[in-house]
Amino acid sequence: MKAIFIAYDQAHYDRIVEMLERSNCRGFTSWDQVKGRGSETGEPHYGSHAWPSLAGAIMTIVEDHRVATVLEKLREFNNERPKLGLRAFVWTVEDGI
Amino acid sequence: MSLYGNAVRRPIMTTLCFVAVVILGLFSLRNLPIDLYPDVETNTLMVMTTYSGASAQDIEQNVTRPLENVLNSVSNLKHITSKSRENISVITLEFEYGEDIDVLTNDVRDKLDLVSSMMPDDAETPIIFKFSSDMIPIIMLSVNASESMPGLYKILDDAVANPLARVSGVGSVSISGAPKREIHIYVDPVRLEAYNLTVEQIGSIIGSENRNIPGGSFDIGSDTYSLRVQGEFKASEEMANIVVGTYEGKTIYLSDVARIDDSLEERTQETYNNGEQGAMIVVQKQSGANSVNISDKVLSMLPDLQKRLPSDVKLGIIVDTSDNIRNTIDSLVETVLYALLFVIIVVFFFLGRWRATLIITITIPISLIASFIYLYATGNTLNIVSLSALSISIGMVVDDAIVVLENVTTHIERGSDPKQAAVHGTNEVAVSVIASTLTLIAVFFPLTLVTGMTGVLFRQLGWMVTIMMIISTICALSLTPMLCSQLLRRNNRHGKLYTLLFTPVNRGLDAFDRGYGRLLAWVVRHKLVTFLVCMGIFIGSLLLVRQVGTEFFPTADDARLRVSLELPIGTRVEISKESTARLVDLWREKYPEIKMINYTTGSASSDNTFASMSDNGPHIVSMNIRLVDPGERERGITEIAASMRKDLRNFPEFKKAQVSTGGMGMGGQSTIDYEIYGYDFAETDTVARELQKMLRSIPGTADVIISRADYQPEYQVDFDREKLALYGLNLSTAATYLRNRINGQLASQFREDGEEYDIKVMYAPESRTSLEDIENILIYNSAGKGVRVRDVGKVVERFTPPTIERKDRERIVTVSTVVQDVPMSEVVEASMKQIDEMDIPQGINISLSGSYEDQQDSFRDLLTLAVLIVILVYIVMAAQFESYTYPGIIMTSLLFAFSGVFIILWLTGHTLNVMSMIGAIMLIGIVVKNGIVLIDYISLNRERGMSIRRAVINGGESRLRPVVMTTLTTILGMVPMAVGTGQGAEMWRPMGTAVIGGLTFSTVLTLLFVPVLYCVFASQGVKNQRRKLRKALK
Repeated sequence: MKAIFIAYDQAHYDRIVEMLERSNCRGFTSWDQVKGRGSETGEPHYGSHAWPSLAGAIMTIVEDHRVATVLEKLREFNNERPKLGLRAFVWTVEDGI
Repeated sequence: MSLYGNAVRRPIMTTLCFVAVVILGLFSLRNLPIDLYPDVETNTLMVMTTYSGASAQDIEQNVTRPLENVLNSVSNLKHITSKSRENISVITLEFEYGEDIDVLTNDVRDKLDLVSSMMPDDAETPIIFKFSSDMIPIIMLSVNASESMPGLYKILDDAVANPLARVSGVGSVSISGAPKREIHIYVDPVRLEAYNLTVEQIGSIIGSENRNIPGGSFDIGSDTYSLRVQGEFKASEEMANIVVGTYEGKTIYLSDVARIDDSLEERTQETYNNGEQGAMIVVQKQSGANSVNISDKVLSMLPDLQKRLPSDVKLGIIVDTSDNIRNTIDSLVETVLYALLFVIIVVFFFLGRWRATLIITITIPISLIASFIYLYATGNTLNIVSLSALSISIGMVVDDAIVVLENVTTHIERGSDPKQAAVHGTNEVAVSVIASTLTLIAVFFPLTLVTGMTGVLFRQLGWMVTIMMIISTICALSLTPMLCSQLLRRNNRHGKLYTLLFTPVNRGLDAFDRGYGRLLAWVVRHKLVTFLVCMGIFIGSLLLVRQVGTEFFPTADDARLRVSLELPIGTRVEISKESTARLVDLWREKYPEIKMINYTTGSASSDNTFASMSDNGPHIVSMNIRLVDPGERERGITEIAASMRKDLRNFPEFKKAQVSTGGMGMGGQSTIDYEIYGYDFAETDTVARELQKMLRSIPGTADVIISRADYQPEYQVDFDREKLALYGLNLSTAATYLRNRINGQLASQFREDGEEYDIKVMYAPESRTSLEDIENILIYNSAGKGVRVRDVGKVVERFTPPTIERKDRERIVTVSTVVQDVPMSEVVEASMKQIDEMDIPQGINISLSGSYEDQQDSFRDLLTLAVLIVILVYIVMAAQFESYTYPGIIMTSLLFAFSGVFIILWLTGHTLNVMSMIGAIMLIGIVVKNGIVLIDYISLNRERGMSIRRAVINGGESRLRPVVMTTLTTILGMVPMAVGTGQGAEMWRPMGTAVIGGLTFSTVLTLLFVPVLYCVFASQGVKNQRRKLRKALK
């Protein structure tokens, strides 16, 4: 099992959830309206006067073989709309109930 | 979920909500009556008290003064003026606007009850009379007749006046110029004396002969019959055979001592239409009824009515006030439509996409139509003020939608889907959209709180604009994002036409941005120079303030002139008629613009309400002139009026002549009244004459008139009370004898065809033409012994002032002048200087009123309002920016707005009047919006980490387009108003001009001056912060 943490511009939300569904990743946890900025590029998402946009975050735990597909799709999304900003990070899940 | 989130998710609901609003609005619009102005509630009450036989001075002493003293304590009273004339005292109470007139009426009634015991016994109970704009006739019809002239009154009363009075909403229909039938019993005094009879005896005999008396009922057999005596005369000739007495055994018939004259009232008003004698029918509306509706109904009835009249009687229209209303409203509607078109063009030009243009412009009709619901719900009308509000708002209601659309587009361009972009894009700007609407509401809402005359006018403007702004904001936060999500596309591909058309436009706009950026870069490097230049322009424009004249309201051209002429007092009506006829002939020839000219002269009978309200008499001529519509003639109404005034100078027989233009109140011509307060008639008369001479010498004055009429020569009978007592008489018996013989005694009423006509007994006209006739009048005492007037009194000739006018409980003479061709302020200034040099006796003082006073009041109100608005706007901005300095910086653009107003008024030759001041006040909200947009973005840049200077230049460059765009929509929305030539355009032209000038000028300077000030203050702020930091570190 792998955990994928996706931080994205709010506008991506619908598509990501739809994509997860299609990739047979049923479970996920999402946080609406979170703040943050990329390490290198990307506009900050602060919801402030200067940086009004906001981000969202999704954590999904998927079987190992699905990670590649999901990441591929996410990369596609990001390349399609580079200005919005979308990042994903994967790490191993050791256990769960 | 937020408003916009819901709207985007549920497009059908959103669409249908707005469709519902539009349907309701259109329904309201269909039912909205039209009128010229908002309903101005009456603020005037009149108290009329008759005291027959009392002279002006007696009336003043015994009736007017006690009443005034008591009425003066009624609350909310602004002025109390009175006219004490022979027989009658008329007190006018002018209240502050906006008070409930019914409550005031009750107050006045209470006060009158208090004073009733102090009134002279013979004085009648005071009557309270409400005067409002409703009293102004809405239609005047002319009637021309030849053979039917003697019976005209009855014909018109039956066939025209009565049917018209039945039209719902019509208040009263009065006929003037058609004399009423009256039966005169002209007695011969010599014969009366010979037969030992008196006028009184004859009167009472006629009265008791002309009777129907029921005699009860009685039974004959099985039936009951009623018994009656039908003694009423069936024809006036029957009276000749009445037995009035016996003399030496012989019966004396009425025909032996008198002749019966079945004719018309002796003293009547005569009316001439286009030079031919006829009559005039005046239709007044009921309070609150709509003039246009009534006039429509009346006009549609005319052909029918005409059919019922004898063939020689022709009806025509002298004045139809609704004509002017309709034309004015039509031309204003046209203005609004042009404004709409211009705004759409600007939006399309800047956005370059038809979908975006559609999204933006759809907010205009929705906001505008929604405001009709308000008008309908509150019972208002479609009038100049409400339509101006529409015109003003067109440019402003799109602003919010533009901001939203721009941000949504940015999001889409960054890669969001339209739906997401719509929600998030709107979310980001929602607060600032609401804040900018608040600044506008801060400007327009206080308009609803103004009191006084201006308040009545602009309350509606305030509400309308406030409502439209709120609706437009709601629209921008729901409909606009919804439409964006539906209509905008992520990959916007442009057609060939677009590329062809908009490539140069975009290139031009880009170059414009860059050019401005370069200018800004130069400006922020030369702060001091910019500051000095801008301040120099501002101070320079202040010098223009003295050059721009002021007045109350612009004079509107309603194609109608009123002329009142006065010949020397006592002139016989024939002479007045002859002189006027000459004048009318001259004018009809000289002014082809005249469509109809009508005049009335002579004393009005007391039962003609309309005529008896205004001054009348054999020496007074009042004239109504209707011109062709303003569009169809070269000369304006003021020009024609000026030329007519010049013509009148060649008619020295008209002692007083007044040509007035425009409607009553707003839009009428400017007048200045110089009120001379003082008790002594001789002294105040001298001052008034001196003032009149002085005013005539000032350029720009016309029709300088002294209100106090001439001393009227009259004969008075001074009875010797001792001698009267000796003969067993008292003064009132003696006076009544005089009155019955000259004025006539009302003996009875002659009934025919359901109408009643007065039967009056009086001396035959040939027996009352000399002083001897008066002196020879016989007065009988109770013992039946006669004595001649000359034995108990003396007939003397005296002069009395016909009317004593008072204002605020002091005697007053008003010298009034019409201001023509020059601003009112110039005349006031020139005259005040001369008045200071005049030698005015002690106890007399002069003060100014008329439109000048109204203007001063309104200007004071508007200035207070401006201050209030500035404070409110500052509060809204300070709250939004969470800063005291930024709003201050933005507010400096107001200085340039006012400079711009003065400069454009000076350039176009308009004056500073209530309309242009309203324009200036509106500017407060509009110009700060530009500043807000600019400062907001600059501070955003700073928060994003730019240096002050870079933030300013970059912010300026990227905000230039929105600023120019919103400014252009507002300016172009106003252009049709400023250049309009339709009927009534004189009224709103100054407002449009003021807004255009102020906005253009302030936008240009704001774009340079505000960034400079920002630089100064921001760097000062940075320095302060550093100093604080250093202190903290130490």
